[in-house]
Amino acid sequence: MSETENKKFTYYPGCSSQGSARHLDESLRAVAPELGIELEELDDWNCCGASVGHVGGGTLPNLSLTGRNLANASKQGRQDVLTGCAACYLNTHAGNEKIKKDVALRGRVNEALSAADLSYDDDLQVRHACEVIVNDVGLEKIKDRVTNPLTGLKVAGYVGCQTVRPFANTEGGGSYDTYDDPEFLDNFAEACGAEAVDFDVKTACCGGSVSVMNPEKTLHLIKQILDAAKDVGADVIATPCPLCQTNVEMYQEAINKEFGTDFNIPVVFYSQLMAVAFGMDKEKGAALQRNTIRSEKLEGMAKS
Amino acid sequence: MTQAVPEQASKKYDLGFARWVYENVDGGDKLSMCMQCGACSGSCPIGTQMDYGPRKLFMMIRAGMKDAVLSSNTLWNCTKCYRCVVRCPRGVPVTYILGGLGSKAVELGYADKEDSKSFASAFWWSASKFGRTDERLVTAKYYFSFGLVDGIKRGIANLKIAFGMIKTGRMHIGAPHKIKDAKGLQSILAKAKEIESRGGSASS
Amino acid sequence: MTVEDRKPGVYLCSGCGIGDAVSVDDLEQVANSEFKVPTCRHHAAFCSDEGVAVITKDIADGVVNQAVIAACSPRVMADKFQFDNAQTVRANLREQVVWSQPPGEENTQMLAADYLRMGIAQAAKITPPSSSLAGDFSRTILVVGGGTAGLNAAREASKTGYDVVLVERYDRLGGWANQWSKRMPHRPPYRDPQENDIAALIADVEADATITVMTNASVTKTDGGPGKFSVTITQGGIEKIELIGAIVVATGWRPYDPSNLTHLGYGASPDVVTGVELEGILADGPAKRKSDGNPVKNIAFIQCAGSRDPDHLPYCSSICCGVSIKQALQVVENDPEANAFIIFDELRTPGTAEEFYRQAQEAGVIFMKGKVNSVDDNLTVVYDDDLIGEEIPLAGLDMVVLATGMVPNSTNTDMADLEKGADQLVNDIDPRAALTFASNDSEEGEATVEVEAAPGEGGNTNDAGDSPIPGGPILNLQYRQGPHIPILADGFSDSHYICFPYETRRTGIYTCGPVRRPMDMAETAEDAAGAVLKAIQALNNASVGSAMHPRVGDLSFPKFGLDICTKCRRCTVECPFGAIDEDENDFPVLTESRCRRCGTCMGACPVRTISFDNYNVQMVSDMIKAVEVPDEFDEKPRILVLACENDAYPALDMAGINRHQYSPFIRVVPVRCLGSVSMLWVSTALESGYDGIMLMGCKSGDDYQCHFVKGSGLAKERMSKVGETLKSMMLEEERIVVEEVSIADSGSIPKVINDFAEMIEEIGYNPFKGF
Repeated sequence: MSETENKKFTYYPGCSSQGSARHLDESLRAVAPELGIELEELDDWNCCGASVGHVGGGTLPNLSLTGRNLANASKQGRQDVLTGCAACYLNTHAGNEKIKKDVALRGRVNEALSAADLSYDDDLQVRHACEVIVNDVGLEKIKDRVTNPLTGLKVAGYVGCQTVRPFANTEGGGSYDTYDDPEFLDNFAEACGAEAVDFDVKTACCGGSVSVMNPEKTLHLIKQILDAAKDVGADVIATPCPLCQTNVEMYQEAINKEFGTDFNIPVVFYSQLMAVAFGMDKEKGAALQRNTIRSEKLEGMAKS
Repeated sequence: MTQAVPEQASKKYDLGFARWVYENVDGGDKLSMCMQCGACSGSCPIGTQMDYGPRKLFMMIRAGMKDAVLSSNTLWNCTKCYRCVVRCPRGVPVTYILGGLGSKAVELGYADKEDSKSFASAFWWSASKFGRTDERLVTAKYYFSFGLVDGIKRGIANLKIAFGMIKTGRMHIGAPHKIKDAKGLQSILAKAKEIESRGGSASS
Repeated sequence: MTVEDRKPGVYLCSGCGIGDAVSVDDLEQVANSEFKVPTCRHHAAFCSDEGVAVITKDIADGVVNQAVIAACSPRVMADKFQFDNAQTVRANLREQVVWSQPPGEENTQMLAADYLRMGIAQAAKITPPSSSLAGDFSRTILVVGGGTAGLNAAREASKTGYDVVLVERYDRLGGWANQWSKRMPHRPPYRDPQENDIAALIADVEADATITVMTNASVTKTDGGPGKFSVTITQGGIEKIELIGAIVVATGWRPYDPSNLTHLGYGASPDVVTGVELEGILADGPAKRKSDGNPVKNIAFIQCAGSRDPDHLPYCSSICCGVSIKQALQVVENDPEANAFIIFDELRTPGTAEEFYRQAQEAGVIFMKGKVNSVDDNLTVVYDDDLIGEEIPLAGLDMVVLATGMVPNSTNTDMADLEKGADQLVNDIDPRAALTFASNDSEEGEATVEVEAAPGEGGNTNDAGDSPIPGGPILNLQYRQGPHIPILADGFSDSHYICFPYETRRTGIYTCGPVRRPMDMAETAEDAAGAVLKAIQALNNASVGSAMHPRVGDLSFPKFGLDICTKCRRCTVECPFGAIDEDENDFPVLTESRCRRCGTCMGACPVRTISFDNYNVQMVSDMIKAVEVPDEFDEKPRILVLACENDAYPALDMAGINRHQYSPFIRVVPVRCLGSVSMLWVSTALESGYDGIMLMGCKSGDDYQCHFVKGSGLAKERMSKVGETLKSMMLEEERIVVEEVSIADSGSIPKVINDFAEMIEEIGYNPFKGF
């Protein structure tokens, strides 16, 4: 990628960008130009179906949600589709691979799409923002852009599940990290000048959508993550996934009540860290006001 | 030698169930390759809270235990962490199969009492109506699927979180976001449903 | 050869570090002054062309006809040190002296000198062996059995240039394979059932002019030995005698009798069938129920039906899982809607059968792990599923298949049991068990030679209540040890599998195919080729008077001094190979080509009247006495190690190769087998002042590794009785031990030796030293 030109991507924000994960969307859009990424929003994008779409609507209808997004994306050109949300990535990338591989299936999807005069006949790639940053941008570039290093900030890099599983170690998924000990998040934090602490539950599950529907089943899973962060003295937990950010943040009080703990650990997106490290405004750039548990330390480091 | 056959055997066991799963459930065709090693159950973060871990569930499918399989909470407790998928030595797409079984369970009426079904219905309502999931509407609809009183109780229990979200601008206030061509999306989804009911599975 | 005829020469090699570790000059002194050996030479490398030339010149000049080469181990350079017109004796100064002892030390020198002494003493008691080659030899191979094994054996033998007589008891060739619908896959990718090509194999054999096929025939008598078996074949009442070089027994198997399997539903419904019965059904088309002819849509296979079960067949028949997978695949391929269930305890799919198993999985065959509790007359199979942890009923099946095992045809069940000799099959299992034998005069009744069981071990298997295996003898051997081919465990013929597959305990007679262990058609074809190769080796060796392995090339054979023979019959009973019969006067009579030259007879003989030209009791006795035994004030004990040449001696060599060090006080005498150890050697050693004696040899017992089958077990027996003798001599019993080692033990042997040496030093020196 050249130094002067930005790389263009069709940007698929996902439903949570309109609500619970607004700060991911905002901070990602803010740092993208710094990283040489130009984001052109996907026109009239719809929901990806997340974890329960196929249950609610059936398998082919669920897949058609992805079909519509890809059909619209191909109208915007042949550049890669980029998304910051783990679930959107999983559904859209997996759906895309299936459609491209199975001619008969593609036919059925296109038959459904034809009801709105749409068709997906192209060969687009669907990529996760973190994979793009690792493979296309590179850590050197991040370091290059850091004008305000997060020195002394202890970051627990909580990768979670769907950002890496099942695609991070596949060719289609960019082969950019491993399943059992992924390093990209720690690398991002260190590139920003922070200290990535030893966080061995980095790929533990936060309970995903089960935590939304029935938190009583999964509070102990989230507690495990918080315990580990506290044990290593983390100032913040960093994460790439909207659902992880919300689950690990918003249930801390319920956990404290249930288990008698006193957690109050800020949970931030990697893009928020980058925004601060790139010298951006803590609200306009890093959207730190969106976090319900604020990090004084991180906010204190921001230039403005 | 004659032995008394356990009661209700014909209801509990269906010799053709395994073949039906192989042919009709998403990813089911790979299920025949399971060698019962248990790596999936061992990796599952929520396995101990399932009626049966995935390994055992797959063996029950082979033994024809249709009712037990489709009414188990295994299908609903899965957090979709995909650890089983990346670890299975035979490449069985465990998470996908559990999801596929969930779809079938709903279709065949086994999941009417499941919380997840209510949530999924609420989710799908929003996604198809607006083209977007409106988190507060979905949550509200989900809570109230338990009845008015229960719904209110749940709402109150989560009020603090809700306020936190509102305060930080993470809960959308106002009319739900809607895509421009919501009508077009609805026709697509209707058409897809019709194609699916024609037969065969979505995964060819 | 007499004393006058012997012309020993001593050749001292200083290569491979020998010259640096010991004084070769001093060794030469030993040869000259102690033994007055007229010819004694040094060289830095006798194995070099130059070195060999030194020896051959001496031989050509008529100066030497016994070369005592003190150099490396007798296990190496054997071809270099092989001379026409001279015998070779080896003294091992390399592996067992300079490589395992510290250089330059007095003990090391003494050890080297003693081995030289032993070598010279050995030469003084041996003569060149010559074989007995009287009579006609045959190049015809007899194959007994016309099934897959026998047909393959016959074809292989014919293609290699040997005539074959193929004897089949029934009216057609092909055996069980005639009934199979399809075969297990035997070509890559090993995924699909393959065509049954038995008809082509039969046609090949029938068209081959060098194979004489005799159907409706059986072997009624076998006499003689390898190279010259005299075999009587009876066909249609007419007897024919053939001169045969070697015999391949390919009598195959029969299915386990399913009428014993009522607990699995056999007999309760015609639709509970065995795998063999299902083959017959599938040969006629898609599977149909026997009861009403309806197609089979739901079928369950029960594995290990009457196998791996102490109440039925205790062993696994190895192929039944593969066969069920094959049949399940055939059912599902004929009808893709059919459901096939295979219920197993362990699923055994060795080698390429793993691919076959995966193919079955891909085709949707369902595998269930558990134990079947019942099968009722509605074909409901109830089993305990190990993986679900519950009892599961499979109801609605159309057919239940019992995968039964293979029973070897080690006897001919069409023939009545012989009145005498049936016991042989049971008794032979335990080498230490009492053998009943018929005296030629039947009125005298039967006499029993008792060999006591070692303490703590089971005695005569008859006592356990095992019934003898039914059926007549396949070859009806006219051997004094009985008409049957000996059986190992579970009715399969005996072989020393690790080293010598296809062997039976009768030289020149080889088994192949399911009669020796359960196997499928592809393995059987290979097995047949292997057995035929052995048979060819056997008849070729016999025709030049040479032993088979492990002593290939040995032309010696035991000679019996009948003048002092007491007719005790120990040699005829204890010979592991039945090589020695009794004549009409009860004297032992040897059939040389049956003999393996192990020397067990020599060790058995209480009056020591059995000897080989190049290995005899006196020879070893003199070697033992040749060693210089210091008196107790020198504080150098002497320990005799009688090491068998098959495992123990090589292990000692390998300890040296790896430079492991051990006590310098041992003196190793290689013996052919511990079975050949004579009690005289023990008493000689004690009288000569040795402080300890170790018999080091291969493992004995049910899973023996003794390369001559019984030798090491017999030695253990004999030594167990020595305790009394030692006590009467006021000597400690611990001075004599039997150590069982394997060739892989070179790492631990030094400790075994050193521990023994330490123990000897603790109990003190032999009080007879110096007398």
